[in-house]
Amino acid sequence: MAYVATRGGERAIEQAERLFRAEMGRIEKARVAELRAALPYLIDRVMGEASLYDEDLAALALAQTGGELSEAVLLLRAWRTTQPRLATAEVIEQDGLFTHRRISAAFKDIPGGQILGPTLDYSHRVLATEVLQGDAFTPDPVTPAQAPAPAHQPSVSTWQAENELVDLPEPDPAKGGDIPDLTREPLLFPSRRAHTLQSLARAETGGVLALGYAAMRGYGQAHPTVNELRLAEAEIVVTHPDGRRFSAGRVKVSEAEVVDKKGEKLSLGFAATFGWNEIKCIAAATLDLNSPGAEKGAPTEEEFFLYHTEGVESSGFCIHFKLPHYVTFQSSLDAMRDAKAKRAAKSGEPAQ
Amino acid sequence: MTETDSSLDTLARARPAPLKALGERLIGALGDIEVIQSRTGLVMLPMRDTAHGTAFHLGEVLVSEAHIRARGIDGYGMRRGRDLEAAMAMALVDLALSLEVEPEACRAFIAAEAKLQAAADDETLRKVEATRVKMETF
Repeated sequence: MAYVATRGGERAIEQAERLFRAEMGRIEKARVAELRAALPYLIDRVMGEASLYDEDLAALALAQTGGELSEAVLLLRAWRTTQPRLATAEVIEQDGLFTHRRISAAFKDIPGGQILGPTLDYSHRVLATEVLQGDAFTPDPVTPAQAPAPAHQPSVSTWQAENELVDLPEPDPAKGGDIPDLTREPLLFPSRRAHTLQSLARAETGGVLALGYAAMRGYGQAHPTVNELRLAEAEIVVTHPDGRRFSAGRVKVSEAEVVDKKGEKLSLGFAATFGWNEIKCIAAATLDLNSPGAEKGAPTEEEFFLYHTEGVESSGFCIHFKLPHYVTFQSSLDAMRDAKAKRAAKSGEPAQ
Repeated sequence: MTETDSSLDTLARARPAPLKALGERLIGALGDIEVIQSRTGLVMLPMRDTAHGTAFHLGEVLVSEAHIRARGIDGYGMRRGRDLEAAMAMALVDLALSLEVEPEACRAFIAAEAKLQAAADDETLRKVEATRVKMETF
């Protein structure tokens, strides 16, 4: 088989790109700022899937791609490779999270209480069509409490361990460059747990939800209950050249812990991601909970869900089918015609 | 929870404009300064999994970094986002504090910014507290 070199597409390609970009028009700093302010949850989703935290870059990627999420994530992942890695921060511990939302569906009276935080979970979903008539939609302001909530909330699973419902894990001593890193090592199976969780953290939200939902509907071994769900901010703790440690700022993170109720103790599944994206975390934690012992080819088997929820690879593979396959397709047609001709010749032969 | 240097914590979250103004003011008083680094880059951020205790990487955060030196003392700034001038200003304030150059002005700035940051956190947490569910058992 050989490739056939073709020419004549350069002008069409250039004009096609222009046609795509014409729809978005001129992009200025103000548009990026408006996107960042108006769409924080979309920004969070893009940062999580890109595995790169910076709201301005995420907003710029959305502006430049017209909201084509696969393209926006690809742009950010590509841009990331132009930057040096300056440090690895200290490991974020749950008890250090500046918590905005912390709920449990498993236990009503968890230590620290149930804090709903920012959510539409219990609200009517009504489209504010009056905005299209020219009337602004102005949300009612929050009435702040007299006293602030504690910045840090206790862990539900630690409390459960005190009540002999779960076994608390020994903390992994790995830190800094010792922590396995998917951006520098291949994903091999059986996957190391650090690779699994990193892969889920940067996975495509829709893919994770689809496979997690399959597990929830019965194509898995364990039905999840949300043990703890948090939306929080985490400190980026780095080290000064003289050895002092300090926080270089905060980033938004989400984490979910789900439990299975089989056996004498609860077993836990966990997932976390950049930004506030709780659906992704619950679905990913469900996959984590279901993966031990999952059959090969099941949606809850780690190789299946990790490969198929990697957004840049999956979207890239999907769109590659649009590219010219003229030679391979022609070859297949030749084989079909050849088989047809042979069949016709055979049927034309005189009966023995 | 990790113990951190509260002055550096505050400088890393300080408002960019007043921080840059203070840094600008300190340049003359600090004398000759060697700039070792002034760049953007990434910090990898790991997290602890509460189910199995595993440390894993959440992803990378864009930061601006400045590393300077004068009279054998390091000044350092690292802040989230893309603002090299603000990171440099942080490094200048850090260096000034170490060399006792205009220490009162630096400490007053940090104290004022810390107060603003604490007030912002307090406001956020009072709104968060408003969403606490008061459970009643029937």
